[in-house]
Amino acid sequence: MEPCQCKNKVLIPVLIVVVLVFTYFFPRFILNNFDASDPWASYLYQYGFGLVTFLIGLLLIFKTKAIKLGRGSETFWFGWLIAGFFIFAIGHAVWIYLALNTPVKG
Amino acid sequence: MEAQVQGLNIAPTSLIIIGIVLLTYFILIAWFGGFFTKFSKDVNDFFYSGQRFAWWLGAASMIATGIGSYSYLKYSQQGVETGLSSAMTYTNDWFIIPFFMFGWLPIIYFSRVRSIPEYFARRFNDTARYIALVIILAYMLFYIGYNLFTMGVALEGLLGISMYWSIPLTTLIVGGYVTFGGQTAVIFTDLAQGIMLYIAGAIAIIVGIVALGGLGEWWAWLPVTHRLPFVHLFNDYKFNTAELFWGEALAGSIAFTFMNQGFIMRYLALKSVNEGRKACIFNVLFTLPFSAIIVGAVGWIAKSLIVKQAAMGGALEGLNPIHIANYYHTFLIVVWECLHQNALVFGFVVAALSAALMSTVDTLINACAAVGIYDIYKPLIKKNASERHYLIAARWVSVIFTVVGLILSFSFIGMEGSLMSIHYKGIMLIIPALVTTIFLGAFWRRFNSKAACISMVVGAVLTFATEFSPAMTDLLIDPIANFVLGAGLLSKKYIYMRALFGMIVTALVGIVVTLVTARESDEKTKGLTICTLEDAKKIYKGSDRLNETVGKKVGQLSVEFNQSLKEDMISVSQKTMDQLKAVAEDMIYVEDQRWWLGGLRSLHTKAANAHNKSDDIIMMNKKTWENGLFLDGKKLKIEKIF
Repeated sequence: MEPCQCKNKVLIPVLIVVVLVFTYFFPRFILNNFDASDPWASYLYQYGFGLVTFLIGLLLIFKTKAIKLGRGSETFWFGWLIAGFFIFAIGHAVWIYLALNTPVKG
Repeated sequence: MEAQVQGLNIAPTSLIIIGIVLLTYFILIAWFGGFFTKFSKDVNDFFYSGQRFAWWLGAASMIATGIGSYSYLKYSQQGVETGLSSAMTYTNDWFIIPFFMFGWLPIIYFSRVRSIPEYFARRFNDTARYIALVIILAYMLFYIGYNLFTMGVALEGLLGISMYWSIPLTTLIVGGYVTFGGQTAVIFTDLAQGIMLYIAGAIAIIVGIVALGGLGEWWAWLPVTHRLPFVHLFNDYKFNTAELFWGEALAGSIAFTFMNQGFIMRYLALKSVNEGRKACIFNVLFTLPFSAIIVGAVGWIAKSLIVKQAAMGGALEGLNPIHIANYYHTFLIVVWECLHQNALVFGFVVAALSAALMSTVDTLINACAAVGIYDIYKPLIKKNASERHYLIAARWVSVIFTVVGLILSFSFIGMEGSLMSIHYKGIMLIIPALVTTIFLGAFWRRFNSKAACISMVVGAVLTFATEFSPAMTDLLIDPIANFVLGAGLLSKKYIYMRALFGMIVTALVGIVVTLVTARESDEKTKGLTICTLEDAKKIYKGSDRLNETVGKKVGQLSVEFNQSLKEDMISVSQKTMDQLKAVAEDMIYVEDQRWWLGGLRSLHTKAANAHNKSDDIIMMNKKTWENGLFLDGKKLKIEKIF
């Protein structure tokens, strides 16, 4: 069995600091550049923090060898993981665009 | 509730027709569920259906499990109030999927744990197990009681039956088929009810769109605020994007996928981890967004109808004027009016509401019973009894939890607040401590038993305390909200942020206690953490050799009995072995050739040495054949697991 690489003593503290810094500054960046009622502010908030969560998940499963490209069908599943993220992110962006840019009668 | 009956203006004849449709549906579904009783031959089948089903069956039955009776009422209300953003809670789960698909799912599947508390017993100790048990039961019983309550509200509003009668009646029917049918009955009735849900939802949507004059009209009359997929970042404490991310997309999604015993049992009923991954992807990518439309669209249509009606200065052509005094009843009022008060079709749609209730509650009752048997009865009351004894006990445990759920449902009667607020207030208090402990336990090998016990208790107690102490909210939750939102909520009322607070407290206590206490033996965590998944696979297979080369499925095989083969071993020709890319001792899944059975007649076996007979022959012991519930003359299909 290949050794698990999750005992990295540097990576985890660095990651925690980076996530905390991001968590503090990212909402402030959004509020400085968008009105809180702007749908793009909500979009950025969800997908900014969502991307960080998603990437931590990917990092964890690669570091622990829970996923290994080329083993069984795991390359296929990895493709779906990435595709799924983009499907939701692009889908929501198109949705906001259509909501803001199509005629309203009411 | 009487005002609601008058509001819908249902004539007595129509009420009788609706009642007959409902009763017919109840009888049919109870009969359908009862049919599958024969497939529960032991307690493992009763709860887990023996890890044999195809992904699509699991995914399809999850549709109905994920939609409760409260979903229609709650999301229609949210839809008319805030528009398409009501779909937010159904479309924000993807971020945690890597943790589930490659972490939690293989851990629970390969370790063959039967419940979350059992996982805690193996990963930590019995104390952790029973702390987790209390939280899990609180979570599931909350859902059972809440579902029964909302169904009672709907039936009382429609038929004028007191909730004190309507709730026990529906409980009796749901409890009946779960008690006798077990997990197989739950999966198959949920499949049927999932179809019912979608058909009824589609009817409601189509008649609403037709009433509006088409899809283009619906969109055109919808205000921009109601078209958007997200609400304001944080202005409304009841429903805002920022808080929803932390409380719902993270804590809520993890709870639903990681600790909802009902969903976990669905995954454990599937034939392999790969099938679980397929079901998971399908569920999050297709089922959940589609379900968001089914449960929320009537609210979106209602908003367009109201706006168009106001602009036109009166009722739309062919419709009575639609006035929704209480948005809580949006679904029932809009569907009834758009169906031109057709009692027969409306009865069918209401039956779908019942389907939503039954399919959620049946799963939860079965899940509670699983926890009751494996975590209370077997370890504490009767350790070494026969399978038959446990099967009978499982049925009694189902009855007990059904009754507890019924009693709990009465406690919701008279509670103040909207359905949404009652729901999330409860869930956000119950889940954070356990969700965090599961997460740390599965993904951090160093996390130990003492830390798990202390962090769960401290996390749960402090989270609950904030609900009753405004000073604690100001002191503890407000700074967290300021940190992650960039600004605290002006109202200082937090629903979802309470979950983030609970997770942070639990994690901090867990990390500190772990670091200051002794490290536990690595042997104890073998196969139970993400770092030891290879071990988990080997333990699951019962062999140190894993063969993960992807082979083909081979079908059209005829059975030939060979009593010299061991039970649960099969033998096929060398050519078939090559197609499977299998060698002797590999794990092989054998199923009836007919795909639409979804694995109902199937079993896991191991490959013996290849035989020298024809390539279309599969040899097995008679007992193996019986274990797979195979039928005379029916062809079989096989595939290698690993």
